[in-house]
Amino acid sequence: MRIGIFFCQIDNGLKINIDSVAKYAANLQEVEIVQILGVKPRINIDQLAETIKVNQLNRIVIAGDIPGYFKPLFTKAAATAGCNPEEIWLASFNEHGASGEDANERAKAIIACATMGVPFSLVAVGGGNPVNHTTLVIGGGIAGIQASLEIANAGKLVYLVEQNGTIGGHMAMFDKTFPTLDCAACILTPKMVSVGQHEKIKLLTNSKVVSVSGKPGTYRVKIRQRPRYVDIESCIACGLCSEVCPVKVPSEFDEGISLRKAIYIPFPQAVPNSYLVDGENCTYIQSGGQKCGVCIKKCPKECIHLDEEEKTIDIEVGNIIIATGYELLDIRKIEQYGYGIYPNVLTSLEFERLTNASGSTGGRIVMKSKRINKKTQEEEWYFSPEGIPPRNVALIHCVGSRNKKYNRYCSRVCCMYSLKFAHLLREKIPNVNVYEFYIDMRAFGKGYEEFADRIRQEGTFIVRGHTASVSMKDGELIVKGEDIFHDRLVEFKVDMVILAVGLVPAKGTEELSRILGISRDRDGWLSELDYNGNPTDTDRGGIYVAGMCQAPKDIPDTVAQASAVAAGVLRSHTSGLGVGNLSSISLTEFEKRAKNIKIK
Amino acid sequence: MAIRVNPGFIDELDRYGAEDVQLCYQCGDCSTVCPHADEYYKFPRKSLRQLQMGLEQKIETTLEPWLCYYCGQCSEQCPREADPGETMMSLRRWLIGVYDFTGIARQFFKSKTSEILTIVIIGLLTGGFFLFYGFQHGNIHIYDGKDAFLNSSFIHHFDLSFGLILLVFLLINSVRMWYFTMIKGTPLKIPWWMYLKEIYQLPWHFFTQKRYAECEVKRGHKVYMPWILHLGLMLGYVTMLILVMVFIEQLQYGPEIRWQVHFFGYLASLGLIAGTVYFIRNRFIKNYIQYKKSHSTDWVFVVLLFFIVITGIAQHIFHRTGFYEIANYIYVAHLMFVVPWLFRMPFSKWSHLVYRPLAMYFATIRKETLKRQEKLTNPYALSIK
Repeated sequence: MRIGIFFCQIDNGLKINIDSVAKYAANLQEVEIVQILGVKPRINIDQLAETIKVNQLNRIVIAGDIPGYFKPLFTKAAATAGCNPEEIWLASFNEHGASGEDANERAKAIIACATMGVPFSLVAVGGGNPVNHTTLVIGGGIAGIQASLEIANAGKLVYLVEQNGTIGGHMAMFDKTFPTLDCAACILTPKMVSVGQHEKIKLLTNSKVVSVSGKPGTYRVKIRQRPRYVDIESCIACGLCSEVCPVKVPSEFDEGISLRKAIYIPFPQAVPNSYLVDGENCTYIQSGGQKCGVCIKKCPKECIHLDEEEKTIDIEVGNIIIATGYELLDIRKIEQYGYGIYPNVLTSLEFERLTNASGSTGGRIVMKSKRINKKTQEEEWYFSPEGIPPRNVALIHCVGSRNKKYNRYCSRVCCMYSLKFAHLLREKIPNVNVYEFYIDMRAFGKGYEEFADRIRQEGTFIVRGHTASVSMKDGELIVKGEDIFHDRLVEFKVDMVILAVGLVPAKGTEELSRILGISRDRDGWLSELDYNGNPTDTDRGGIYVAGMCQAPKDIPDTVAQASAVAAGVLRSHTSGLGVGNLSSISLTEFEKRAKNIKIK
Repeated sequence: MAIRVNPGFIDELDRYGAEDVQLCYQCGDCSTVCPHADEYYKFPRKSLRQLQMGLEQKIETTLEPWLCYYCGQCSEQCPREADPGETMMSLRRWLIGVYDFTGIARQFFKSKTSEILTIVIIGLLTGGFFLFYGFQHGNIHIYDGKDAFLNSSFIHHFDLSFGLILLVFLLINSVRMWYFTMIKGTPLKIPWWMYLKEIYQLPWHFFTQKRYAECEVKRGHKVYMPWILHLGLMLGYVTMLILVMVFIEQLQYGPEIRWQVHFFGYLASLGLIAGTVYFIRNRFIKNYIQYKKSHSTDWVFVVLLFFIVITGIAQHIFHRTGFYEIANYIYVAHLMFVVPWLFRMPFSKWSHLVYRPLAMYFATIRKETLKRQEKLTNPYALSIK
């Protein structure tokens, strides 16, 4: 067989070095002639036919980003030259994804397949690496919990790594879920408990992934587990230790609106249901065992060991699921809303904790009260269960989201949870006036628009127009904005402002992406392989993303994606094809595979 | 009344400097932070909306662009970086083009080359004319007096006739502005006495530019530097214009210039030099958001003025130190900058000297009339527009 390869491009800005690819193509077997026709060439059919005739070609490969564009011309030329038009093969760079970092290698593989007369899609099948049937899930939020349960229920071993003392993540902090207004804890806590009790799930709290090595199918993972200082097995969560602990610090779980002790349980339904010690604030640990230590004496089960050391755990897994989630944008840098300056300007998560029945006010929505800190003699604001409920509340959408200075993207959940807040406010406080300032109402999910309609009908004042500033005048918060539908500038005196703060990737996401070697998009979220076709895989085989770490999404989407990831993992266990993706296949491997495929 | 939509309007405004209007998603942040937006004149958001919709005929009749002094707070706040401040500035440029009946202003704003070419040609013509005239009728070695190179009474007549022509242009344009904003722009019938009642607005806004100072109230600054320097520039400019137009014979004449002329001349020069240097510097280092984007006409405006001031001062120095020949040549150079500059007056940003006080005057009249109307029809209504 005598083969001629013709390079013709449409796009000028390809990442492929055509010269080096052509050089490679010239060295392929049976290749007689390689011609580079350039960008958008004007092809002379007679000349082309002459070339085909002279070289006695009986197979023509058109290589380029969109080679099909030139196929009619080549067909004509081949027909005049007496070459079989059936033997014109297209090597399409665009179609087979020769565009990323390995564009050159991919282009070579595409051309190699075309010269052998093998469709590239038959050769380009990911996988091939044998798979270890253990899975690692990073992040114990709803996504991690769901994925772990799905895989463990299928009978495979799962390591669930969580950096905090308990699993549950952000969903455990919520009071209600939109749009059904179900109790969030009622959905989450049964799942948490089954994770804790599952014999196939190894729960590693207070832990972090330090390094990952190996290839798809067999990853060796090093996990560092910070000491908990309390024995999980014997702790009965009686709470005696916490009662006597003298140290008080703001609670992370309560978003800092309440205080916890240095030995604490994040929330009563925590899994594992055992106390833990915050080493950075514990007097005993900080003083090197010189001071305090009252909790040890008080503990009836003798399960507190304040001299515990850090542990390193090495495991080998086949697949890794990342479900690290999100955090709120630091809105102290958006000065115009006065967060941190005015006491009653809250973030959405703070309000979520305030309205939650397990929060510090027992679910009463109140304004902050003043008290004097006994130690520092300074005034401070706190939520007292006896506080006064607000009469007027402003909810501001799109704080930091859809804003070119902070987050360009829409955080997707803020509209809905703000509407939910409006409902909760009107439900819990009679005669409260709620003003919602929004730009565009994004109620896109199942039942969301109906929910938005319901809130509108309940009598919430929904103002189309963003609020630019929150200021204080005579002790009252003033919210200024433009009511666009009524064409007037408005100024409301309110008692409380709740900011629908935009979401950003969780703190360790960048580090984790570096450890795992997967890419992030320009906003910092982890990139999936293909947003439409492959939304759970990453560009490294055997590593998957689930939940918020990929992009902002609501709870139904997160759960759905977590289950989808579990399906991907289980497929790799049962199919026998193994894991891996195209970028891990080398050029020689491509050639070898193409040779082995026999086409009739 | 139907309004015709011009879908290409937003692209046309591109040439005037408003490049990012289509990014605006109507959040209203800009209107909220604007110190000048009130119940009756809500901008910049509304102007941007009208621009996006291509309501050319509507914007033609609005006064909102003239109420903005471009302090840049809206552009700083804008979450979309649609630059509403620059958009208002572009609308002002566009409006100058609309008010101008000759079409020269539109040409200048749209094409950098045509403007610069016009300036160069007029400058060269002027230089040639004055050199020719001077060598014919005077002596290059004499600066003032009867046989001066450029006789002051001749310059005086030249100035006055030139000024008169420009005044006619400006007057016609102002009448057009009145027609657009007060006849086409409002459905209300404005009583004649309202014009008399509010007439004090004209000198008040012309000489104090108080609303410019209000720009900074919201930011909590006590004094707004651009306002002070703009005021200095404007007052210096007007003083100099009066000196040149009315007192040129005393200004140029002899060793014994009257002290009043001296005093005002120096004061005006100081204001001009401080103002031009400040604005050129800011346009170079782009330290404030309002100086980030400079239209070509902005540069021509400040740079030409700067050269006029420099040559004027140099001419004065050489005259006082006795280098009459050099002083005469610099005088011609000075005129070469002054004449194109004066010619540009009614067709460029300069004309906001007239349009801004007028706009403030008209805006107040429209607002007062609307208030009156509301009181008559519905005492409880907040605003109807």
